[in-house]
Amino acid sequence: MKNKNRLTTKLDQRLLRTVLPALISVIILSIPLFNFPQQNLWIRIIGYAGLYIILGLGLLVHVGLAGMFDLGFAAFYAIGAYTCAFLASPHFNIHLPFLVVILIAGVLAALVGSLICIPVLKLRGDYLGIVTLGFGEIVRMLLMNLTDITNGSQGIIQIDKPIILGLNFSNGKYFYYFIFALVALLLFLLNRVINSRTGRAWLAMREDEDVAQMSGIDTSKYKILAFAIGAFIGGLGGAIFASWQGSIFPDNFNMNVSINILCVIILGGLGNQMGVILGAMALIALPDILRGFSDYRMIIFGLLLIIMMILRPQGFLPRKAPKFEENSSGLPDTKKEVQS
Amino acid sequence: MQKIIEQLINGLTVGSFYALIALGYTMVYGVLSMINFAHGDIFMVGAYFGCFTITQLSKSGFAESNPALAIIYTFAAGALGAALTGVTVERLAYRPLRKASRLSTLISAIGTSIFLEEFVRLVPKFGSMISSIHFGEQYIFPASWRSAIVKVTQTFGGAMVKAYPGILGTEGIKLGGVSISYSRILIMAVAIVFMVLLYLLVRFTKLGKAMRAVSEDKETASLMGINVNRIISSTFFIGSALAGIAGVMMGIFYLQIRTTMGFTPGIKAFTAAVVGGIGNIPGAMLGGYLLGLAEVISVQFLPAVYKDIVAFAILIVMLIVKPTGILGGSGGKNKL
Repeated sequence: MKNKNRLTTKLDQRLLRTVLPALISVIILSIPLFNFPQQNLWIRIIGYAGLYIILGLGLLVHVGLAGMFDLGFAAFYAIGAYTCAFLASPHFNIHLPFLVVILIAGVLAALVGSLICIPVLKLRGDYLGIVTLGFGEIVRMLLMNLTDITNGSQGIIQIDKPIILGLNFSNGKYFYYFIFALVALLLFLLNRVINSRTGRAWLAMREDEDVAQMSGIDTSKYKILAFAIGAFIGGLGGAIFASWQGSIFPDNFNMNVSINILCVIILGGLGNQMGVILGAMALIALPDILRGFSDYRMIIFGLLLIIMMILRPQGFLPRKAPKFEENSSGLPDTKKEVQS
Repeated sequence: MQKIIEQLINGLTVGSFYALIALGYTMVYGVLSMINFAHGDIFMVGAYFGCFTITQLSKSGFAESNPALAIIYTFAAGALGAALTGVTVERLAYRPLRKASRLSTLISAIGTSIFLEEFVRLVPKFGSMISSIHFGEQYIFPASWRSAIVKVTQTFGGAMVKAYPGILGTEGIKLGGVSISYSRILIMAVAIVFMVLLYLLVRFTKLGKAMRAVSEDKETASLMGINVNRIISSTFFIGSALAGIAGVMMGIFYLQIRTTMGFTPGIKAFTAAVVGGIGNIPGAMLGGYLLGLAEVISVQFLPAVYKDIVAFAILIVMLIVKPTGILGGSGGKNKL
């Protein structure tokens, strides 16, 4: 029995490391190449899932890596999107190039992220989740009500389509490739971070904050860093969303978005980048695939969330536990962290 | 002066909703240490049960001839419907996850919230689906049943905003120039009655003692012969019934309900629970009224659209300054 287990885990790992990513990337890259019915729709759906992979990776830094529960991730997404809308649209009549805009969007989101993180450094678990939830809602309501700046619920329209290397992005295919190129870059960079000193500090913090602090890890610094990095990625996602969509409204950033992103990383298996990809594909593409049952898709989705949590709470692809880790459930043991 | 008093009464009315919903959050947090994300939707389900009852009663003319009884029936239906929903949700979506991580429970609660909202929206569809089940030519339900099923489900739910029949109208009494509508008086009175009842139940009955024991330490409580599962079910029953009562109140007050109505009051009531000290029953009541008053006061100084922002700002400041809430202890154990 034990032997078999070891075999399957080995097989699992090999699948996880090589076959699965290769297969997924081949499928993803080939979609815009061939002509098939409803191709544009599929480019849109899969591209949208790609956007959620980016957002999921951002939230993964908060929740999965640093163990900081965040229910207001849409705030950073919104900041990125509105930065892009301000800097590249007729709204203020500013038209900066997209690559500059997306960087500013990311940096601004990171700045806000680290600022919001400083007062809540002491909070843990649920309480942190609630503060971030409140923060997310405040950002959305400000977007809604500061009509002089954000145009309120009318939103901002006619956001510039990027032109990069002479390619005009009004063609959806370029956006599609841009999104997945960014996904690949982020996966690579995050992998480097996870295996660095910072990643190990996060791991220690996530498992037991007190012990980490006593071992000489500056938890405040690493928390702020995690929040800034996650928010930065969220800001990038927002900028892409704004210029891809061409118009944004405050309701694009309501709490359901934060919850959807959280579902992406939890369904995929918390703390695992490959899981984020699977989770995003399942979560974002599923309601579209279920479109045949149009009226019933949300109720099916709700049911699936419950059933999934009961049958496989660790997600599709649980984080593989490092050898020195005792808690191998794949999920951070947040039960302990009720409050400080 | 009159204006100020009227505004205060407004604040207390809104605060009554928040306090009643907050009690459910706080009780569940007390026994399970989990945020019941679907609580706002249980509140919504209660409002729909109440709406169904009052609509039927006013159609048959019973509400005209016997308004007091009609109101009691409406509240009873709302409370019972919400309570049964709450207990079912706990049994099916939360109990299997009791040993799982906190995040799994939260996701399950989010799933429940989506499910409840969609279910109420789709009830008429399910009704017509059930009534049209047939084998060959033979329907499994007789014709009269089939039309009854369709009718009942259509009155109960649906995607449209439902109008609450106004039983109390807009009249009220005048007290020294201050006019108070009957619906406000009813809402405040009902809220206070139920809060007192709850307090007595938790303080002085055997069930209340068991609930306090479970919230203190589940394992020890079960060693002392307390059926923990039964107590948790009762907690969900009571908390959800209070939310259902709040739902009926909201219907009576705003005269319309919709399937998404649970979200904002749900989050604000949660704020109230945190402000008062989550896990603490008098705290939830206090927090609810404080939040209602704070909203009304903020409307005096800021545009009305900012009142939600004020509520969330209070939440954040409270969590940063004193996360255990006004009446919460010095941290550690959460007490009922």
